Amino acid sequence: MVDAALSLQTIMEPAAGARLRRRMFGQKSFVLGGGLLLVIIVVALLAPLLATHDPYTQDLARRMVPPFWYGKGSFEHILGTDNLGRDYFSRLLYGARISLLIGLSVMVISGIIGTALGLVAGYFGGKADLAVTFLVTTRLAMPVMLVALAVVAIVGGSLPVIILVLGFLKWDRFAVVMRSATQQARSLDYVAAAEAVGASTSRIILGEILPNVLPQLIVVATLEAASAILLEASLSFLGLGVQPPLPSWGLMISEAKSYMFFSFWLIAIPGTMLALLVLAINLAGDGLRDIFAPEGR
Amino acid sequence: MKKFIFGLAAAVTLAAFNIGGAFAGKPDNSIRFAYDQAPESVDPYFNNVRIGVIIGQHVWDTLIYRNPETGEYKGELASAWQQVDDRTIEFDLQHGIKFHNGEEFDADDVVYTLNYVADPKHGVTTQQNVAWIEKAEKIDKYKVRLTTKEVFPAAIEYLSGPVVIHPNEYYEKVGPEGMNAKPVGTGPFRVTEYDVGKSITLEKNPDYFADSPKKQGPIEKIVIRFIPDRQTQMAEVLSDGVDFIMYVPKDQAEQLEAVPNLQVVSGETMRIAFMQMNSQENTPSKALKDERVRKAIIYAIDRETMVKEIVGAGSRVLNTICFPKQFGCTDEGAPGYEYNPDKAKALLAEAGYANGLELDLVAYRERNQTEAIIGYLKAVGINANLQFLQYAAMRDLIRSNKAMLTHQTWGSFSVNDVSAATPVYFGYEKDDISRDSEVRDLLKKGDTTMLPEDRKAAYHDALKLIAEHAYAVPLYSLPVYYVATADLNFKAYPDEMPRFWEMTWK
Repeated sequence: MVDAALSLQTIMEPAAGARLRRRMFGQKSFVLGGGLLLVIIVVALLAPLLATHDPYTQDLARRMVPPFWYGKGSFEHILGTDNLGRDYFSRLLYGARISLLIGLSVMVISGIIGTALGLVAGYFGGKADLAVTFLVTTRLAMPVMLVALAVVAIVGGSLPVIILVLGFLKWDRFAVVMRSATQQARSLDYVAAAEAVGASTSRIILGEILPNVLPQLIVVATLEAASAILLEASLSFLGLGVQPPLPSWGLMISEAKSYMFFSFWLIAIPGTMLALLVLAINLAGDGLRDIFAPEGR
Repeated sequence: MKKFIFGLAAAVTLAAFNIGGAFAGKPDNSIRFAYDQAPESVDPYFNNVRIGVIIGQHVWDTLIYRNPETGEYKGELASAWQQVDDRTIEFDLQHGIKFHNGEEFDADDVVYTLNYVADPKHGVTTQQNVAWIEKAEKIDKYKVRLTTKEVFPAAIEYLSGPVVIHPNEYYEKVGPEGMNAKPVGTGPFRVTEYDVGKSITLEKNPDYFADSPKKQGPIEKIVIRFIPDRQTQMAEVLSDGVDFIMYVPKDQAEQLEAVPNLQVVSGETMRIAFMQMNSQENTPSKALKDERVRKAIIYAIDRETMVKEIVGAGSRVLNTICFPKQFGCTDEGAPGYEYNPDKAKALLAEAGYANGLELDLVAYRERNQTEAIIGYLKAVGINANLQFLQYAAMRDLIRSNKAMLTHQTWGSFSVNDVSAATPVYFGYEKDDISRDSEVRDLLKKGDTTMLPEDRKAAYHDALKLIAEHAYAVPLYSLPVYYVATADLNFKAYPDEMPRFWEMTWK
């Protein structure tokens, strides 16, 4: 985000920086989403300090303690304990780390793959474009969830596996968006100017085109991060994602499923957090799009 | 997710208005029973899951009947029997019994069934139940002679449980596939509708023979639906969509107790839970070949607390791999491993795994118990990666030597003799992943000796060896919780067999 702002400044007039800031803070959805996301990120980073208990320590004698606002609850376990007596609040905090880690890593991996392909296709056109379009079509022909389930069933679920599988599956939207954005930028005057002064191809792509398509890239990236988080939760819910005892939110929802009729908070708390996180990312992404490209509203 | 919320909302609405219960239960003598697994085949010889045993006992009969309360044997399809010598038993059969398709029951059915299932080339799934049969011969229309391969004192026990009798003409014609598609037996219920993998409907057999020890009661119809998801089962029982579910986890059962139109019945079962540790040649985990590592794993798990907090009423901690009430099962002289995480860590360090150890753990039921085990193992530095599978998938993994740790349960087919339990996992059968020949020989001796005292001694030595070498982690016996509509009268037997034929209404 910081990078984006900086590189934008370099190509805008100096006064534009102030204007951008004003636009950012005038954007309600960005302020709300970004703020919420920031809080979750800070909480996740500070999890070891904020957590009241070790998220892995089980105490079968103190299981299913309800949150503090219920009669039987206490402040020792703010959000109660789960079915193995682990502190729910601490697991929730550490779970935020896993969700964010997955969202971020998948975004980076798929972003690199998709952006590279999109830039190449958009800039060179012709056969390169055909090849990339073919790859994207092939990839789109396979439903992400199905392929992810199959791979995980064969290789076995674990955090790195989930990140890699999703990372290698979710680059399509990056490629499609980058391709069309590059095609547009390719025909603009500053690219022609760079070509005229004899800049190398890599200099043009990385130095001229990439900074100019960054806004679109950021919007896609936020969407993909949110969708990766949801996919991980779904996989974990199905028992094929992150494996216990890691405190993934999807896994927590899955474990709490057995108790939803009588101890609904067990499923409601991680469910709410997951919804909030995805909402925050999507709001922030939406806001960013409006800031960078208000004409697209 | 959307579907899921809809489902929940639907369940709640149903519960509130009590829809769907109008045409079932006491008024028309029917029971709707939901079970989580569908059997691979309804033919009792071609599945090894509990629901298969339950259907088997309702649709078919056995030669001998064992009273579940007294353990006493009575004739069922056989009117009398006598042990001719160590390996030969002769049976007099009942006259005038008819199969559901009208075929008459006589010696040919018994002879054909026993010889068919005993032949390994027919690939009966439950070899343990039939491998002891050498041959059956017809003496006359109502007299049969059975020869066992070796001296096999538990024969009567098997003949009163899993060894059901098929109609010879029909079975010869259609085989196990046909028997699965259209099951035919002599039992108190007959199959009237079968939607493979979805549901099976049993209706009272109107021509059931009057002298059967399985006395028919008022229940006319049982609809068994296979509902894999326990939450759906709970929603169904709460909303009066089903009348009877079993294996409800302790927590949920305790919560359902508070619902006024439901009752919860529980009791200990013969089903034991234990963990195998693959220590045979070519095990995927070298560490498990080290006895110290295996002992550390046992020391790491607090079984007492697990039994008290999450397993439930009626269960007990085990020290050997068998159910204590089975003939020949004992933990005398076997070392018991108390909960001692420090000792576990010390043993691991001694074995060279001071910095931790990565293992796979495969499991198929009672996932919360598996997760508790994983938590305990983590506390001593063992990272167990959970593979939670369907039973058949887990069995394949074990039989192809790809499993490291397993979280197993075994119900012994309700056979009250240790030969149905320990040898399955330590007698070089397909599920044996420790393979100690000394243990095998002792178990074999126990299985094939006639004198009860000698049998007990052999089993004792085998069980002691298994415990000394820590070949497996004996966990606990499992209780079973049934949740049923409040006006049904029934008992929880240790053999996990709901006997719908004898259930009545309050």
